[in-house]
Amino acid sequence: MKLSFLIKSLAGAATMVAMAGPALAAAQSAPSPVTLKGDVMLEKIVTENGVSKTQLVEPKVVIPGDHLLFTTRYHNDGAQAVTNFVVTNPLPSAVALASESAPGTEVSIDGGKTWGQLGSLKVTGTDGASRSATAADVTHVRWTIPTIAPGASGEVQYHGIVR
Amino acid sequence: MNTYLSPLSRAAGIAGCSLVALSVTAPLANTAHATGVLAGTLIENTATATYQSGSTTGSVTSNKVTVKVDELLDVAVATLSTAPATATSEPAVLIYSVTNSGNGPEAFNLAADPKTSGNGFDGTIKSVVLDSNSNGVYDPGVDTVLTAGALATPVLAPDKSTKVFVLVDLPAGATDAQTSQVRLTATAQTGSGTPGTSFSGKGEGGGDAVVGLTTASANSLAALIASLANISLSKSATILDPFGTAKPVPGAIVTYSLAAKITGSGTLDGLHVIDTIPDGTTYVPGSLKLDSAALTDGVDGDAGVGGASGIDVTLGKITGGTTKTVAFSVKIN
Repeated sequence: MKLSFLIKSLAGAATMVAMAGPALAAAQSAPSPVTLKGDVMLEKIVTENGVSKTQLVEPKVVIPGDHLLFTTRYHNDGAQAVTNFVVTNPLPSAVALASESAPGTEVSIDGGKTWGQLGSLKVTGTDGASRSATAADVTHVRWTIPTIAPGASGEVQYHGIVR
Repeated sequence: MNTYLSPLSRAAGIAGCSLVALSVTAPLANTAHATGVLAGTLIENTATATYQSGSTTGSVTSNKVTVKVDELLDVAVATLSTAPATATSEPAVLIYSVTNSGNGPEAFNLAADPKTSGNGFDGTIKSVVLDSNSNGVYDPGVDTVLTAGALATPVLAPDKSTKVFVLVDLPAGATDAQTSQVRLTATAQTGSGTPGTSFSGKGEGGGDAVVGLTTASANSLAALIASLANISLSKSATILDPFGTAKPVPGAIVTYSLAAKITGSGTLDGLHVIDTIPDGTTYVPGSLKLDSAALTDGVDGDAGVGGASGIDVTLGKITGGTTKTVAFSVKIN
């Protein structure tokens, strides 16, 4: 009898949590004033009349060494400005940051724990020797947009190379 | 298809960040491969943003964009023999390695071509053999002899290689020390051609297969050298008559000398020097010699037999550059 009571008691507690749940979720799911939309394009170098230029094409066929351009578009649908907008993008493990993306971009080489400019980051190898981090070491990139006015939009991008 | 100029210029400004040297113990766990990420790998990208709106904070996550990595078809062939392989009456064994330098599992068709410009002779391909036990040595009866018409490696995982033996016989006409080269070509079974050629749906994981910079076909030359030996036999005679001069009169002793000269880099096996006793003469018992060393006449432990029916000296296996001299004497009746 005692055991049975205990189980009933636990069941009651669970119900209470479940009831508390929807209220909590409702508070968090106030519609976000900002939308994010990701996109990826393949950067293809084409040569016309001896001049090479890069074209963006749908990534129908992607092989190691290909350059991809990842774009995240943001749009403030709300009625008031959004501030301190920080977009964080973990790099897919199969993609290395292209060196052209590194200058001026805030990156992390430790899974997003610490951040900095690529040139200031150091990697300690298995042999204990320290070396400057390279674009291939980057695990995350992030961008900070101070203010997005109501109705304003923009995009952030990084170039990656399929490892 | 817009031409891209400077995509990052459209990215919004970056907040000032402290330039503190951060140190982490890295090497990341990643799926990078010597030949690139494996075919079929999904590249999934999602961005998340945090923000403030008035007095509240919020976060928003983007949709996930996914790209599947297609199969790159690449191959490398190398010759593992550092010196020309020797061909005698036995075939030369040429050793090659075939490496899948693509990013998906792939089998490669093999073709061995004995006709190469500059060849002293064109060898005859006896067989193409896989190093089944991966010991780098051709083991007859152990390693898999490929069937003509189905010359191919097994499916090789990316970065993996297999050793291939090509057994080459000397053609009729080849002479000692002549050299020849044999080209082994390996071609991806899925397809080959100009880099960038795409085979729709033929890639690992249902994606496309794309020809890489190697054209998905590669070859390498390996050399062999003929190692043969030739023999020439010269016979001379000296006469000593009972008067101490050299007249061929009855009772004179004629000593024959048979010089067997073996030339070339190879060896000859099963050699015998055989001669008959001339009519009108009689074999001098105990006169048989090999390189000045006396041989007994009987069939016994030594190499020679001598008697009325002639002489027979077994030389056995002799390498090139050696001369063996057999001598015997007869008496003019």
